[in-house]
Amino acid sequence: MTKKPNKKAFSELIGKHQAIIHKVTLVYTNGRVDREDLFQEICLQLWKAYPNFRGEAKFSTWMYRVALNTAISTIRKSRNTPGFEHLADHDGVMDENREEAEQLKQLYTAISKLNRIDKAMILMWLDEKSYEEIASIMGTSKNNVSVKLVRIKRKLEELVLEIEKQES
Amino acid sequence: MKNDEKLKAMWNKAEKMMGASDYNVPSIEQFISGRSNDTAQRIKNMIVFDIVLKLLGLAALAIDFILYFGTTNVMIVTLAGIALLIPLVFYQQKLLNHFNGAADNGQSTRDKLASMLTYLKTAFFTTLLSISITYLFVFIAGSLAYFYAAYGYVRTLDGVDFLVFAGFIAIGIVFNFIVNQAQVKYHVKHLELCLSDLNDKSLELVSENIELQRKQDRTNKLLLGLVVIVGFVLLIAVFMNIGAAG
Repeated sequence: MTKKPNKKAFSELIGKHQAIIHKVTLVYTNGRVDREDLFQEICLQLWKAYPNFRGEAKFSTWMYRVALNTAISTIRKSRNTPGFEHLADHDGVMDENREEAEQLKQLYTAISKLNRIDKAMILMWLDEKSYEEIASIMGTSKNNVSVKLVRIKRKLEELVLEIEKQES
Repeated sequence: MKNDEKLKAMWNKAEKMMGASDYNVPSIEQFISGRSNDTAQRIKNMIVFDIVLKLLGLAALAIDFILYFGTTNVMIVTLAGIALLIPLVFYQQKLLNHFNGAADNGQSTRDKLASMLTYLKTAFFTTLLSISITYLFVFIAGSLAYFYAAYGYVRTLDGVDFLVFAGFIAIGIVFNFIVNQAQVKYHVKHLELCLSDLNDKSLELVSENIELQRKQDRTNKLLLGLVVIVGFVLLIAVFMNIGAAG
């Protein structure tokens, strides 16, 4: 069992790895308010779970695990209008490469249509996690991860095509 | 669809485009000092609150014992209440530890979903039963203290009084069950869905485990059911004023 650090030291540690939480909140929420709520909840759950962190896995892997478990098991009513209006909020960025931004929006929309487990798997895959690491975080076999990822990617492909059709 | 590498490269730009901004250390410090709104935290709060209530009930019964010292039958009722409440406090503490283990987010996703589902489908009913028992004992302890303050002895209640008091307690217990069961039912469905999405066999394996746990938990439920009956007998003993002449 790890000794609980003080809040400031732990906040610094989370701060260093906060990109992981941002990625998780991005996939599991629909807008800024929900995203901030989930970010806060994940930080809180990390703090609570830390005394049980034994250092067997890398801190970032453990952080991914807690963040995903929190996002998957948390049932909350959305405080945002479903949709991806927040993408349109960043017109400046989008103008730089409108086509790329449009593709990203399609990808994001497609990911948002996946179930919570598939979201977790594709997120880790996109984030360059190995099959072993994904299997360890999800508590399933490497083979299952491999089979599921093939299915999820195919499903994503179909969803993106569907979205493209709807938009054109 | 783009190839895998292009997809990954595209995703890496997502963060910037979505406008996710970094939080500074004081903000994160504030987050970890906040309060959680998730179901697990609500259940944990419920168990902790019950332990506190049971301890208060114990203290009140001890005070009643002192107040009614010399009134044999009331002393027996308070001692019986204390003797039943002490193991219940330990039992609830055990359930809290069990729940903390089940709700730990540091486990793998499958283990977290499975352990929460198993807890909610087996031990949660026992938790509610243990919480319901607290109402009885707190009511007994409170009534005895009230009678002492108001009359200096246990006042005789007629049949109607008894029905009203017992009715209120029964309604409280049933209401507590219905509200919590409804909330948990939704959560159970969510967990089952996630487990089956994770792996077709996961839910099957967890279901087998749940059946096993249910069989093991049967003894606990029977014992708790027995305590409820004894609690009601004690309640009747107080209300029927067996101690007044003690």
